[in-house]
Amino acid sequence: MHKIIQFEQVSFRYPDEEKWILEDLSLTVLRGERVVINGPSGCGKTTLLYLCNRLYPDNCDGVLNGSIKIFGKDSSSFIPGEINHRISTVFQDPDSQFCMQTVEEELAFTLENLHVRREEMEKRISEVLTLTDLSEFRHSVIQKLSGGQKQRIATACALIMQPEVLLLDEPLSHLDPYTAKKYVEWLDELQQKRSMTIVAIEHRLDLWGDFFDRSISLKENKEPPPFDKRKSSKQDDVSLVVNKVSAKSFLQETTFSLNRGEIAVLAGPNGSGKSTLLKALCQLIPSSGSVEPKLLGYVPQSPEFLFLTKSVQDEVGFGGGINVDEMMTRLQLFPIADAHPFAVSHGQKRRVAIAAMLSDGREVILMDEPTSGQDAAALAELFQLIDERACEGTTFLIVTHDMEFAYCLADSVLLMRDGCLTGKFEAGAMWSDEQLLLDHHLLPPKEVMHREACFA
Amino acid sequence: MKHALHKMNPSVKFLAITVCMFTMAFFFDPWTPFVFWIAVLVLQVFLSQINWKKWLLFMLPFFVTAFGYFWTTLVFAEEQSGPVVWSIWNMHITEVQLNHALSLSFRVLAFSSLSLLFAFTTNPVTFILSLMQQLKLSPKIAYGVMVGYQFLPVLKDEFVQIQQAHRLRGAAQEKNALQRLLGIRRILIPMLAGAVRKAERAAFAMEARGFTGERRSSYFQVISIGKVDVVLVVLFLIVLVLSCTNGLWLS
Repeated sequence: MHKIIQFEQVSFRYPDEEKWILEDLSLTVLRGERVVINGPSGCGKTTLLYLCNRLYPDNCDGVLNGSIKIFGKDSSSFIPGEINHRISTVFQDPDSQFCMQTVEEELAFTLENLHVRREEMEKRISEVLTLTDLSEFRHSVIQKLSGGQKQRIATACALIMQPEVLLLDEPLSHLDPYTAKKYVEWLDELQQKRSMTIVAIEHRLDLWGDFFDRSISLKENKEPPPFDKRKSSKQDDVSLVVNKVSAKSFLQETTFSLNRGEIAVLAGPNGSGKSTLLKALCQLIPSSGSVEPKLLGYVPQSPEFLFLTKSVQDEVGFGGGINVDEMMTRLQLFPIADAHPFAVSHGQKRRVAIAAMLSDGREVILMDEPTSGQDAAALAELFQLIDERACEGTTFLIVTHDMEFAYCLADSVLLMRDGCLTGKFEAGAMWSDEQLLLDHHLLPPKEVMHREACFA
Repeated sequence: MKHALHKMNPSVKFLAITVCMFTMAFFFDPWTPFVFWIAVLVLQVFLSQINWKKWLLFMLPFFVTAFGYFWTTLVFAEEQSGPVVWSIWNMHITEVQLNHALSLSFRVLAFSSLSLLFAFTTNPVTFILSLMQQLKLSPKIAYGVMVGYQFLPVLKDEFVQIQQAHRLRGAAQEKNALQRLLGIRRILIPMLAGAVRKAERAAFAMEARGFTGERRSSYFQVISIGKVDVVLVVLFLIVLVLSCTNGLWLS
């Protein structure tokens, strides 16, 4: 078999950091293989990928030891751009990997880079669009497409180069479970048609099924701290009443209520109006209907959007809350009290945001996609954070695509589709209602599937 | 006919307009810019399809500026020689003053409407492509600008989101305009941090697609120079010559 990528005792670090990100790493990828590289965030998965397509070390002046052979040749002997014609990459963020307006122009941009003759371009564009089943989007404006569609377009742009290797950088992290599964099936078919080598990095393998032949773990696989299904801390008194809330043009009339200490998950397909509903509830966008209480806490996907001051302590006290110190203790923020809120870790930012909301007297917290792009350790931290607060009587409404997480955490599930709330379901029986889940682009969590299989 | 200016090659249009502006800068009488301004408007009426309401809205600040020039030049003029043509209260306005004032304000109008003609009839993406193909702009700069252009709506969304998040925190809208301007800083910092990250990702994505910044050997979307361009350039030159020689045929 042909060795395509060969790392021998590779070590790598950034120029201004002491710590090696990769140390003495050796691995081999053969032609036609489907390999997944996994490991927790910050263990150097992305770095490894960038070493394969030669974005590193040149773009960061990193220090590289050991030898990297690509297609049997030393990787530094390729001229700039040469390797990118044979190894193409799909990145994680669907928003920042395009530079032209329409799909056709974007594909043409890639071909121009390859110095393809103009007469040939037309043929190759229609070819790749047929291959990937995207012909209908040929003249679509990319920024107006959904996350799943953008990820398929990005893949088409990678395939038009007719690469020998396709690198994927967590391509599913922004997709809803159903769309993600469709993407995997689609990729499976493409790989068989084109017989490429696929190297992906991913920390959640559930959605991939048996797509990969082999997996390489970068850190010795510490069993991720598992979270069990939590005991409900739902109390009897109602803490959030939403009555006929609707927002112009898209969000239909929505009515539901949550009890104190209840954790509810809001789920549905990409673009079904989940974020819009959260914003309407906090009166961030004009809406009609009534919400009780008036003050709701809101944590956006990037918690730093909320920050206004220069230290964590000031941030928590910004709303003039009286129990700032108590909040700081309860959320273990004293060690970072003087740090700038932009400079702490992502998990800590979220902690600060929640502390600030609680000390403002906002007892109901709405969270927008806190799980996206988080590894097992970060998820466990998030789980604990939410669980502890709920036990103290805080009510949560959480938007997420992560059904394993939702299954373990939620007391109830609100499902949404096309700007309309389908209903509020008690967690439990609904997890095995496959039709209901499928209608909302969701898949039953693994544990439930496993149980079903045992009964069958 | 109605699409001629929209169809014109953007680089050629850009050059034609630059030449016109440069020439106009050497005329200090009121009639040249005035005739030129009217001619530009006539061109725009017959050779383009633009939204005139929008045009008026954009022209409004220029009208105000033009009037400002006119008024300040009248009141604070240094040179007060020549026959008096107009007296209000105890102010006597001489012919020289009036000519200066009119010349300045017509010049503002001529330049601004010429710029708007360009802005309203040119697609920014086509303009960049044309700069790259006709004027040999480096692809590095051209595609850099293009990516920036794609990011504008994304940045706008982010701005709104941060603003909303801040409103939720109870960061009240400052009444004072200066304080509000300072308050924007709080929104700009997280936005800039995000923009740097996005820019890096976009750069990596481009490089991973084989973009090296070298000249391209062929283009998918060819921006060509055709008959329309020749005709329109001649038309621009006629307008320019006519307005520069107005002394000959107006008097």
